[in-house]
Amino acid sequence: MEAEVVEAEIVLPTHLNFKRVQMYEKYPKGQARGRHWKHLKQIIQAENYQNYPPDEPNYVNIESPPPMHPCKRICDITGFEAPYFDPRTKLRYANAEVFKVIRSLPNDYVQRYLALRNAAVVLK
Amino acid sequence: MPFISKIERQTDYSQFDSTVPIVIDNGGSYFRIGWAGEDEPRVIFRNIVQRPRHKTTGETVTVVGDHNPALLRYFDCTRSGPRSAFDGNVVYQFEIMEYILDFGFDRLGADQSQIDHPVLITECACNPIQSRCRMAELLFESYGVPSIAAFGVDAAFSYKYNQQLGICNSDGLAICSGFMTSHAIPFINGEPAYEACCRTNVGGYHVTDYLKQLLSLKYPHHISKLTWEKVEDLKMEHCYIAPDYTSEVRIFQKGAKEAEEKTRCWQLPWTPAPAEEQPSEEELARKAALKERQGQRLREMAEAKRSSRINELENDIRGLEFLLKQLKQVEENNVPAFLRETGYASKQEIESNLAKAIQSLRKAKGEQVETEEKMDASMADKYNLVNVPDDVLTPEQLKEKRKQLFLKSTTEARQRAKQKRIEEELEREKQMKMEEEKRLENPERYLEDLRAKYRELSEKVEQRKRLKTNGNNTNGNQNGSGGVGRGERLNAAQRERMRLLTTAAFDRGKGEDTFGIKDEDWQLYKLMSRDNDDEEDEKSNEDEADLARVSSRLREIDPTFFPKSESGSSTAEPPRFRPLTKEDFQLILGVERFRCPEVLFQPNLIGIDQSGLDEMAGVSIRRLPCKNQGLEERITKSILMTGGSCQYPGMAGRLEAGIRMIRPCGTPITVVRASDPSLDAWRGASVYAAAMQFPNQTFSRTDYYEKGEDWLRRYQFNYTL
Repeated sequence: MEAEVVEAEIVLPTHLNFKRVQMYEKYPKGQARGRHWKHLKQIIQAENYQNYPPDEPNYVNIESPPPMHPCKRICDITGFEAPYFDPRTKLRYANAEVFKVIRSLPNDYVQRYLALRNAAVVLK
Repeated sequence: MPFISKIERQTDYSQFDSTVPIVIDNGGSYFRIGWAGEDEPRVIFRNIVQRPRHKTTGETVTVVGDHNPALLRYFDCTRSGPRSAFDGNVVYQFEIMEYILDFGFDRLGADQSQIDHPVLITECACNPIQSRCRMAELLFESYGVPSIAAFGVDAAFSYKYNQQLGICNSDGLAICSGFMTSHAIPFINGEPAYEACCRTNVGGYHVTDYLKQLLSLKYPHHISKLTWEKVEDLKMEHCYIAPDYTSEVRIFQKGAKEAEEKTRCWQLPWTPAPAEEQPSEEELARKAALKERQGQRLREMAEAKRSSRINELENDIRGLEFLLKQLKQVEENNVPAFLRETGYASKQEIESNLAKAIQSLRKAKGEQVETEEKMDASMADKYNLVNVPDDVLTPEQLKEKRKQLFLKSTTEARQRAKQKRIEEELEREKQMKMEEEKRLENPERYLEDLRAKYRELSEKVEQRKRLKTNGNNTNGNQNGSGGVGRGERLNAAQRERMRLLTTAAFDRGKGEDTFGIKDEDWQLYKLMSRDNDDEEDEKSNEDEADLARVSSRLREIDPTFFPKSESGSSTAEPPRFRPLTKEDFQLILGVERFRCPEVLFQPNLIGIDQSGLDEMAGVSIRRLPCKNQGLEERITKSILMTGGSCQYPGMAGRLEAGIRMIRPCGTPITVVRASDPSLDAWRGASVYAAAMQFPNQTFSRTDYYEKGEDWLRRYQFNYTL
């Protein structure tokens, strides 16, 4: 290791005195590590919240509901108000100049703009 | 924004005795650890872990938190990005959590054989039991902690701290906007009411991500400069929340002076290209003279060659004529012997060689080649057999006849082609003359027509080009969009190809693939072949030829004409016939300044279908178990904003306006910001841990193992001591 790296101590040392079980013992090299951690969705599923009374607050039922206000439509490119909608690319636009820009965008830009709004078509 | 991590190793660990708790605020963005009772956490760092490989030794090391990028250049960080232990606001990756805790304890100065202090650690509201259990296990097993009072909600600690400071009352609402989520938690008599709590999955991360994407799409050239850290800095410095989005946006749309003042511009470092000096007069003159001299030299060389060739030919001709003369003088019997000496086989040969030499001489001298007339003269006797009917001829003569027919047809075809060419030339000249006349009568209109025609043609050509290469032209820059095949719409031709392929490969269910048994099946590939777009190619070639002609004409007569450069890829690329100027390196933040934090109030903007912060307050109050007017009023009188992502200017005003819209008219609403939104959670926890009754709220290892998971589920602690 280079001198300045050692001095700055940015690397985590492998053996720490205060630990009962060291990392390298717990996760020996070569084993597939980290693949067995459950993601949030799986954790929630495993919790079985439906077995408990619904009044009790738990991770799922404190989520907020969809909004009451109507959705505000803004132009995907400029951020202005967008009364218009392009059926071919499915982008919202504010005026004719923005429309020209939209129609001249290559396809991957269009998909990225849609992805901002979570409206892109994802082919799995 | 300054680099706020503090990672100095603390040296006074041993001075704290075993009853002093260690307080940890385990947040989505930063990890803060310190001693109870103190004002500031000792160690703060970003809650991420990287595992790069060292470039020379090849070993994989672990780097926790964010560090000076200059130090990281010894490591190959490309394969491992920074990883967080969180999914949303819940810890799920305990391996990473362990690295982080290691680092945290290490920097706090721990060096004995186990962590001998009680630990207070924060978690999210209504943390799933799994996560809680794992965390408890981690602390008990790996670190040997004697007792934990884990699991206080960070927003609650912050509220309590501010309540002590007098900023908010014992009944109130805490709106905590964090890294990945935002919560609205009401407090009744100083205790959080979790049944009325409300959570939306938007936070500072989403705002930064939105800003990053918008800027990358707007300025694709500067994508390398838009790193996550830089964008976060930009967000913290420049973003604000507009009191009303629509009216603010209208100001910008109108382009008023106010809008200009609100627009910020980020100038990237840029060096102008060194301007080419105009070569001075003498330079030009010298260069011209040089060229002249070179031209002259070449011409002389060509002349010399030509004259030497002419001389050679003349010599040859003289020699051959001499030979012929000699031949005439020689007697009959000696002819073969004579011929053998000279090396020619017969008299005809000599004569033909002579004729050839004379011809080449004439060509070298630049005279017309007179093959045509010779052809005509010999045509009559050459094709003598053509017109004679077949049955009269012998087999040899038939062969002769066929040869002659062939020769005749080819020469006729050649002549016809030449004729056609001459006609076309005449036609073109006529057209040019007409155009000239038109131009001379009405120069203005002619120019206009020509320009219009150019525009049409160029549009057609460009559109065809775009259709052809649509989807095939991804730049190397856009590696963020994930995968080549995903999200690319196929154009008509590609779709047709896909359809043919899939119908061919479709398994009719009988188990056996019968494609290819019949020969006609293979014709499919002809249909699909890209090279077979004959019709389209022809038309496009014609159009392009027309375009070239029109553009050259325009260039001649129109001084203001600029040929449109061939940029086949996205129009976001500036045409390169002008040098890059200072403006190209400026990133302008106008509408984005308030469009991005708007996401906190309208998660619909990024497609998340949940309420924004102002509505969340309303939902939370609605969910209160006991409805009484007085309580609600007390709650709205003391609304606290906390969490790192609530520091935007203008947020308090917007929140107040939003809540006023939902509550009955005339209710008193006060929105205050916490004294230090990022650190208050830790401070609250520290104060709590230092209190006398803290040990009553903790649970120990033995407790945990005896009573098990179920008990842990019900474990909550009282915030008022």
